[in-house]
Amino acid sequence: MANFTLQETSEKTPPPVTQLSIRNFNFYYGKFQALKNINLDVYKNCVTAFIGPSGCGKSTLLRTLNRMYSLYPEQRAEGELLLDGKNLLDRDLDVNELRARIGMVFQKPTPFPMSIYDNIAFGVRLHERMSRGQMDERVEWALQRAALWDEVKDKLGQSGMSLSGGQQQRLCIARGIAVKPEILLLDEPTSALDPISTLRIEELIHDLKKDFTIVIVTHNMQQAARVSDYTAYMYLGELIEFDQTDTIFIKPGRKETEDYITGRFG
Amino acid sequence: MTLIKKRKLINNVALALSLGAMSFGLFWLAWILVTILQLGVAGLSVAVFTQMTPPPGSAGGLANAIFGSVVMVGLATLIGTPIGILAGVYLAEYGRGTVLGHATRFINDILLSAPSIVIGLFVYAAVVKPMGHFSAAAGVIALALLVIPVVIRTTENILRLVPDTLREAASALGAPKWIMIMQVTVRASQAGIMTGILLAVARIAGETAPLMFTALSNQFWSTDLSQPMANLPMTIFRFAMSPFKDWQDLAWAGVLLITAGVLALNIVARILFKEKLTA
Amino acid sequence: MSNSEHTSKQFDADLEDIRSRVLQMGGLVEAQLMAAIEGFSSGGEAVIDQVLTAEPRVNSYEKEIDDAIVHVVARRQPAASDLRLIMGVSKIVTDLERIGDEAEKIARMARQIYARGALTIPRSIDVRQTGNKAAMMLRRVLDAMARLDAGEAEKIIAEDKLIDTEFRGIMRQLITYMMEDPRTITTALDIVWIAKAIERVGDHAKNIAEQVIYIVHGTDVRHTAAPPAALQGNA
Repeated sequence: MANFTLQETSEKTPPPVTQLSIRNFNFYYGKFQALKNINLDVYKNCVTAFIGPSGCGKSTLLRTLNRMYSLYPEQRAEGELLLDGKNLLDRDLDVNELRARIGMVFQKPTPFPMSIYDNIAFGVRLHERMSRGQMDERVEWALQRAALWDEVKDKLGQSGMSLSGGQQQRLCIARGIAVKPEILLLDEPTSALDPISTLRIEELIHDLKKDFTIVIVTHNMQQAARVSDYTAYMYLGELIEFDQTDTIFIKPGRKETEDYITGRFG
Repeated sequence: MTLIKKRKLINNVALALSLGAMSFGLFWLAWILVTILQLGVAGLSVAVFTQMTPPPGSAGGLANAIFGSVVMVGLATLIGTPIGILAGVYLAEYGRGTVLGHATRFINDILLSAPSIVIGLFVYAAVVKPMGHFSAAAGVIALALLVIPVVIRTTENILRLVPDTLREAASALGAPKWIMIMQVTVRASQAGIMTGILLAVARIAGETAPLMFTALSNQFWSTDLSQPMANLPMTIFRFAMSPFKDWQDLAWAGVLLITAGVLALNIVARILFKEKLTA
Repeated sequence: MSNSEHTSKQFDADLEDIRSRVLQMGGLVEAQLMAAIEGFSSGGEAVIDQVLTAEPRVNSYEKEIDDAIVHVVARRQPAASDLRLIMGVSKIVTDLERIGDEAEKIARMARQIYARGALTIPRSIDVRQTGNKAAMMLRRVLDAMARLDAGEAEKIIAEDKLIDTEFRGIMRQLITYMMEDPRTITTALDIVWIAKAIERVGDHAKNIAEQVIYIVHGTDVRHTAAPPAALQGNA
């Protein structure tokens, strides 16, 4: 603080590193084309937000990133989702391994009908063998990271369902990060929560991006403005504009984006 | 103002009608319960639980019939439940929208609404006839056939109540489908599935028709599954039809026992389900 | 800039209210400045009084508009063009209020000069012409703001240089004047203040023009030698 120098100290932020590339991506629900030729880069240790009106395909896009759509046979994807140079759409890719690398948190909190401890351990047990002691550490780490530890450390044996909505959602985030994924997908994670819980989750997102790459879908534009580094505006299955969040919210390049951001949307 | 008055009038009429319907139903139910209680309690004694069914004119109890009912209902539940649960899981988790799933569900619905006497006759033709004589085993099979569709139905319905987001959440952590089903969806439906089983038990506990063609009845104590076995519904049927006062009293005691048992099962089922909903 | 309306009509009304109040304030300040220059030329007490009595109204405009801006920010969280409009306007209001202050300064100096009874006012015509140029610049920048005309704003920025040049010319001449006849120093110094005030009006008008460009294009052209050529393609 004390040392002011008139000479310029060049503190340039390093350029973003691409973690996941979406290339020429199309997606179909049966015959309906829900996503049209999407091209987008998700940057490492950044928060990328997908915004747009209902039905624009933002959630659909998010749910393709961990191949969630594979659960439903009538859904189909084309193009490339490149993670470390591998196309996630490859048929020989093990989706369960993929999901250990790309975690997901849903709109409504989805605690499993088991104890808080087991909720966290559930995912870890699927992918790693570890001693009880190691598991204890992992559970504590995940809950700490999700800012929930202090609230639940005395009741780890209680059902995850006994927590409040906001706590349940943080439990789900803890469950997601306990597997130590590289990317965390958040599908409208606060739309079912009150404003205070929402702010807690937003604070958490800000904190988590040091260790994880985060992609968030949100209906709340201000939320995208608050938490994200990059924002993608989507409309009718197309990516209209993708840029730094500051640019999108101060001087978007496209009129469609401008109209949506400023609330001039139809 | 007149509109509101009219609305209120319609509301009151509808309320009066539904209250009337409810009291009509309750009236008969209460009558049945009171009659059963009055007559049943008269026939109830320690001997009912300790002595065999008597010949007419002498004292006796229902011990062999109670035992037989418990054994057959228990075994039928033991056989029917796992089959029912597995089939229910198939329908809810794997068979959605598949032809096999639709077919299974359709057939199960027919089975569910089939009169129990049809089941009894079927087992008679398929088991009793080839064996050459009535047997408790055949009774167990007939009762199991009644349990299965009920358990399938409730299991499927309860599993469908589990929100898909919970399934997706498990899959999103990289859980294979069978782990997702075993550890998440079935676990979330435990109480509901238990309720279904209890209701199935309650249903078969009072069934007479299927036993008439299969287990028949037995005057004596028998633990041999290959032989006819005494049971409460058949005993009640026989004793109630008889001209003997002793037998009629015992029949009422049996009716009371079955009613109390079914009532108890229903209450337990309700409590379990309520717990599940509040959990 | 988007011309279509907001889904929220109230939001449209709020923004329109702010815009029109800024234009009203601009009109008042412009009139104030014209009157001050007139007062300087003629020494008319009535005109000078008009300038001074307008000052509290300008100040209350500033406070009202700032208040309205805070309300919109708090309630609407404006973004993109709305955000730029709000941010730009809040700065424009400050510049307008300062122009009002400069006009007041000119009026007070004029009164002082005439009260002293100076018979000849050095460089009076030059100062008046420069003052009129500054007033014209202000009028045009308010127009540009009303029409969201970034091209016009760029021209105005370039014109500020002219006023600066004329100001330096007046200064040089006044210095010569004072050296020739030291008795004129007191009056000449007052005129220096007036010229300086006019020069400041030009600067404020230029600031407003820069904000207009920011509102329209989102480019910050402050503290740059010339508006970037890339600007043209950005519309």
